[in-house]
Amino acid sequence: MDSINTAVIVKLEPDFSEGNVSYNPDGTLNRAETKNILGPHSAIAVSAAFYAKVKYGAKISIGTMGPPMAESMLQQAQLMSNADELCLFSDRIFAGADTLATAEVLKAGVQKMQGKMDVVFSGHRASDGETGQTGPQTAWKLGMTFLGHVIDYEINLESRTIRAKRLVRMQGVYDVVEEVEAPLPVFIAIDPSYKPRFNTVSQRLAYEKYQKEANERAQNFKQYLKVFNAIQIEADPKLIGISGSPTIVYKVERIPKGKAARQAEIIDGSNQEQIRKVVVRLRQSLSTAVIK
Amino acid sequence: MTEGDYRHVYIVIEHEEGRLLQVSLEMLGEARRILDDFNKKYTSKEKVVAVLLGYNIKDIPKTLIQHGADAVICADNPELKYIRNTIYTKTISQIATDRDMASKIEPEYATQFKRPRYMFFAADSIGRHLSATVLAHLESGLASDINKLVVGDLQITHQNKTGGKPLTYEKTLEMYRPDFSGFLWTTILCLDNKNPAVSRDYHPQACSIIPGVFEIIQPDQNRDGKIIEYTPKFDEQDLKVKIIDRKIIKSEIDFDSHKTIVSFGRGVKDSPEQNIKLIEQLAAELDAQIGITLPLSKRPFSVSQTVDSTYLIPDRVIGTSGRKVNPKLYIAVGISGAMQHIAGMKESEIIIAINPDENALIKDECDVFIKGRMEDVVPVLIEEIRKQKQVIQA
Amino acid sequence: MLEKYDVAIIGGGSAGLAALKQLSTLGKQAILFESGNKIGAKNISGGILYSKKPKKGKVYNVEDIYENFLQDAPFERKITKYILHATSKDKVFSIDLTAAHEYEANFGCSVLMNKLNQWFSQQAGEAAQKHGGGIVTGVHVSSIRWEDGRTIIQTDELEEIEVKAIIAADGVNSEVAYMTGARQKFSPSELYQGVKVVAKLPEEIINQRFSIGQDEGAAHLFAGDVTLNHIGGGFLYTNRDTLSLGAVYHLDSLLETPNEPYELVNTLLKNPMISEFVKDEVPVRGEIDKDAAKEEQMRIRFAVTKMIKTWSELRDNYYSKKGKERLIKEGKYGSPEEIGTQLSSLRDQMSTKYGIKFETDYVEVEYSAKLVPDGKRCRMEKPYFRNILFVGDAAGRGIFVGPRIEGLNVGIDDAVRAANTVARALDKGDFTEKYLGEYYSQSIEESPYTHDLKAIDKDYLKIFLDAAKEVPKDIISSKYGLVVKMMSSDTLRSFAVGFANILGYEKLLPIIETVDTYVKVPTELAERLGKSISASYTPTLPSIAQRVAKLKFNDDSISHIKVLKPTSEFMKKMVTLCPTRCYLMEEEGVMIQHEGCIECGTCSEETDWKHPRGEKGINYQYG
Repeated sequence: MDSINTAVIVKLEPDFSEGNVSYNPDGTLNRAETKNILGPHSAIAVSAAFYAKVKYGAKISIGTMGPPMAESMLQQAQLMSNADELCLFSDRIFAGADTLATAEVLKAGVQKMQGKMDVVFSGHRASDGETGQTGPQTAWKLGMTFLGHVIDYEINLESRTIRAKRLVRMQGVYDVVEEVEAPLPVFIAIDPSYKPRFNTVSQRLAYEKYQKEANERAQNFKQYLKVFNAIQIEADPKLIGISGSPTIVYKVERIPKGKAARQAEIIDGSNQEQIRKVVVRLRQSLSTAVIK
Repeated sequence: MTEGDYRHVYIVIEHEEGRLLQVSLEMLGEARRILDDFNKKYTSKEKVVAVLLGYNIKDIPKTLIQHGADAVICADNPELKYIRNTIYTKTISQIATDRDMASKIEPEYATQFKRPRYMFFAADSIGRHLSATVLAHLESGLASDINKLVVGDLQITHQNKTGGKPLTYEKTLEMYRPDFSGFLWTTILCLDNKNPAVSRDYHPQACSIIPGVFEIIQPDQNRDGKIIEYTPKFDEQDLKVKIIDRKIIKSEIDFDSHKTIVSFGRGVKDSPEQNIKLIEQLAAELDAQIGITLPLSKRPFSVSQTVDSTYLIPDRVIGTSGRKVNPKLYIAVGISGAMQHIAGMKESEIIIAINPDENALIKDECDVFIKGRMEDVVPVLIEEIRKQKQVIQA
Repeated sequence: MLEKYDVAIIGGGSAGLAALKQLSTLGKQAILFESGNKIGAKNISGGILYSKKPKKGKVYNVEDIYENFLQDAPFERKITKYILHATSKDKVFSIDLTAAHEYEANFGCSVLMNKLNQWFSQQAGEAAQKHGGGIVTGVHVSSIRWEDGRTIIQTDELEEIEVKAIIAADGVNSEVAYMTGARQKFSPSELYQGVKVVAKLPEEIINQRFSIGQDEGAAHLFAGDVTLNHIGGGFLYTNRDTLSLGAVYHLDSLLETPNEPYELVNTLLKNPMISEFVKDEVPVRGEIDKDAAKEEQMRIRFAVTKMIKTWSELRDNYYSKKGKERLIKEGKYGSPEEIGTQLSSLRDQMSTKYGIKFETDYVEVEYSAKLVPDGKRCRMEKPYFRNILFVGDAAGRGIFVGPRIEGLNVGIDDAVRAANTVARALDKGDFTEKYLGEYYSQSIEESPYTHDLKAIDKDYLKIFLDAAKEVPKDIISSKYGLVVKMMSSDTLRSFAVGFANILGYEKLLPIIETVDTYVKVPTELAERLGKSISASYTPTLPSIAQRVAKLKFNDDSISHIKVLKPTSEFMKKMVTLCPTRCYLMEEEGVMIQHEGCIECGTCSEETDWKHPRGEKGINYQYG
């Protein structure tokens, strides 16, 4: 039985943790002063691919669209996953892309990776602005079945199918865990709550083994690294970068200030009249929304 | 581009087994408001069109019309019972580009209609991904997590889009998106394609909308609307994706659809059983959901089995390690205000705290601080709320 | 089908890891289960790790197991100075006990368990992989059962496995011991409670302050009024760029007159000598204008955090030989002077731009606690049960003799003996108690450490008498009169020791381990002979809430401790004695809070006590 080829699409993101992030006086992120790291959701996607390596001996290719400095992030991702191939899609022409144009580059990029992909993973969303569209749009362009919010999955190597559990949150109703079966290939957006689950000691030992190998590989990550420009991935220049983006950012402004920091009015709990007044006032200020 | 190429707001409705998600009605409400202004301003007659997919959903269209839809395109098919991305994406895209459907909404533009002008999805587990794949299929622009919408004729000067010269884009949807910092608003536009070298049509201008932002309009039993059946066409290959099992996570502790939340903390400790009963009564009067602080989920008191399993459970925890809520009214009873708890409720509109300790941290995080023991304060609150209700009814 | 492995080691502390390494060296397959999310997450030590060369017999030392230990291991500093301080208020009388520290020792080095155990685990894990074994973290063993001659281990996380033998290295609160009934829980009279804080201090400042070279270290012990009348003492060890400061007191003594463990550490910190030892330059944030826009407040807060972080990292490097070398090698700076210039320019910016002030204070980075078994009283007579062998703390084998506190080295010695025993049984295919347990028992009986747990070593004693030569006889003699006189004379000492050993530790301990020894004599010494020391500042002591807030926890939704007797005297005392104040007094009795439990086991005597499930609970960063 052949194992599977997996790809992970990751993103370089600013490190938003306190002590590392800097903001400009106008409230925007000070990108020059803020270090970039493997995005937290990307890291979860990488761990999901690593699960396939431990469990099914999958091959892992990791790809990103980004500036040359994204190299070190790919190294970080390899350290987590013992990846077999690292791909950096880097070209000035990619700049200014919205999600549709980004998905175009990633589609072309995935097609340049070694082997035909059985499963492609992406994170749930990026923490710096992009909002979970790139994954599904890349999936659509690749013509792969898209499964979002995946919290668990198993692959049947024989029937070449996947069974995935998805966490669908329906506000105001309830949450559902849905189990889906789909023929490979599929594109998976991993839910933030995903955590690889290993049930047996032998899987855990395999995990340790690959982890150790990952340390060695990541030391020489450049051996695994391929850098592609727009021409090399054979992307249509009209469909990438600013030219390929239907949307633009028109303006950025401050959100008008909401209510001020709270200043509590203090009511003496032993004074019943005062307590009653609170209720009356509530009714008025919240109209009948609360007390009806 | 001529009048009639792009018309209407299409809204992808979300429901669970026939139960409408609130956000669906919120989207209808906002579309109604936008389009009423639009039709007035441009003396036009464009419509709010609800796109409804599912199985055994005959009852929903009526509700949608009452809440502002002019037309409902309804694809009722057993294959559409649960959402599968591929067939849903294709069906929605087919509907959006189907001239037959458009002609049933508005026969006069039957031959011209190409695509919807605007399209709304919900920014939730379902709509977020569906919007992405539909718009990838339609090859148009999508803005996500929107909380404000404005339509206008905008003069744009853009290096790439207008070659640096000012150019007017009519009837453009300004889609406001709160930035990740929470302080900034980014306005996204999906501009008409004016580059003849690209054979793309940047319509619909689409966005996903944050649930809980827009107001639902008062339902009107007498509103008229068209209900249009759509028969979807499926590719065999796509039906190989199967939903094998669905498990409802029976927490059912739904904080989102309650306007009020009453939470309690360790302050109930003096007589937990009775105090929790008091909280129960207060919550009942306010139709409130009940929350707790993390330490309480660890069963620190001996209370009856029922109280224990109903209230002292992780599902009710509000805070860093639980849920984040933003009701209109949040009543914190006997909660000291640990940072972890505050993180989960600080976005509430009005916060009332009841606590005997004036130095409790929660004092700095609330609007009204009632200094007193819950045993003394809560009964008075309950009594007064009952009285106020009678006033309203009278 | 159950997965099968030859040996399971339960617990990934330094003893468990040594067992894994030794078994692997002997070519045997072994897996190690550790419940922490990573090795070291739950390990705490005072701590000094010794390597010994007893006059009689042989012990297995750390460098016997890890041959590259001295070259590569991230231990902190070799301790070269060992001084006992008797305190009374601001007065301190110091006795140099370096000779006692060096007695029968190859070396003794200060260690932080998180870092060190991770290094051990790399060595042991790599060796184990070669034989189909390895380390499995985040897995909590919940039961062991014997079925049709098979030994089956159940965990909270993974499918069951079958093994041939087990080495239990799960510490002083060994669940393996409780669940199999191999031994009772240790009682308070058999335990010490240790509390420790780790304080940050740049490397070269440590060198200068403790008058030690780059490759040297100092250990300072404290007795007298700083113990608040408890039997035990305080310690301060120099690490590479931190200090370990703590107190170890007899749990019985604490139960008698309870003091909050954190107050005991605070008492040490307030001693002027210790205040001066730990002091450092600490940046203090200016007030942020509360009227400024929220985002502006946030921007400033983030900018200040980042600046302090940058400054403090650069400063640590500046005061470290290796740090400076690295920065220069990386081409970031041309010379140490350049680093110094940049450091002071940063410091200026901090105060001018953001109103950050610099004060003298100390920087505490971690608070921790652990129980220490007193091997003289509680070592397992039969450290085995069926095919399970108990090692180190799990077997109750800690050495407490005067200022001599050793546990790590004993655990390692036990582990090697257990591993050798198991390897022998694997070769023969015989896992009976007779072939396994009894052989192991005999092996550790032969260990010089076991000898130390049973009898007094007169040569070791002499060191103290020599060191105390200057001490006026009336202070000591008033308490111990005849004993001291006998001990002071070479001929009589042998006789006295012999006589004492006939009496045995059991009868002797109540005489030696008294408030006189640990408190009164030292206090009197300090009062009469001590030098007055004054502190240049008053350290800001974090509250217990602040200390707990700094720790990393992965909260377990299932509580791992259940209170059984909420109204018992013992539990009432836990309100005071729990190091992280997990217990509260309520009307109906003592109630557990759960948040902040650091799994020390102080309350285990009268609670249903388990370790949290895999990956849950406390996650120490230093240890």
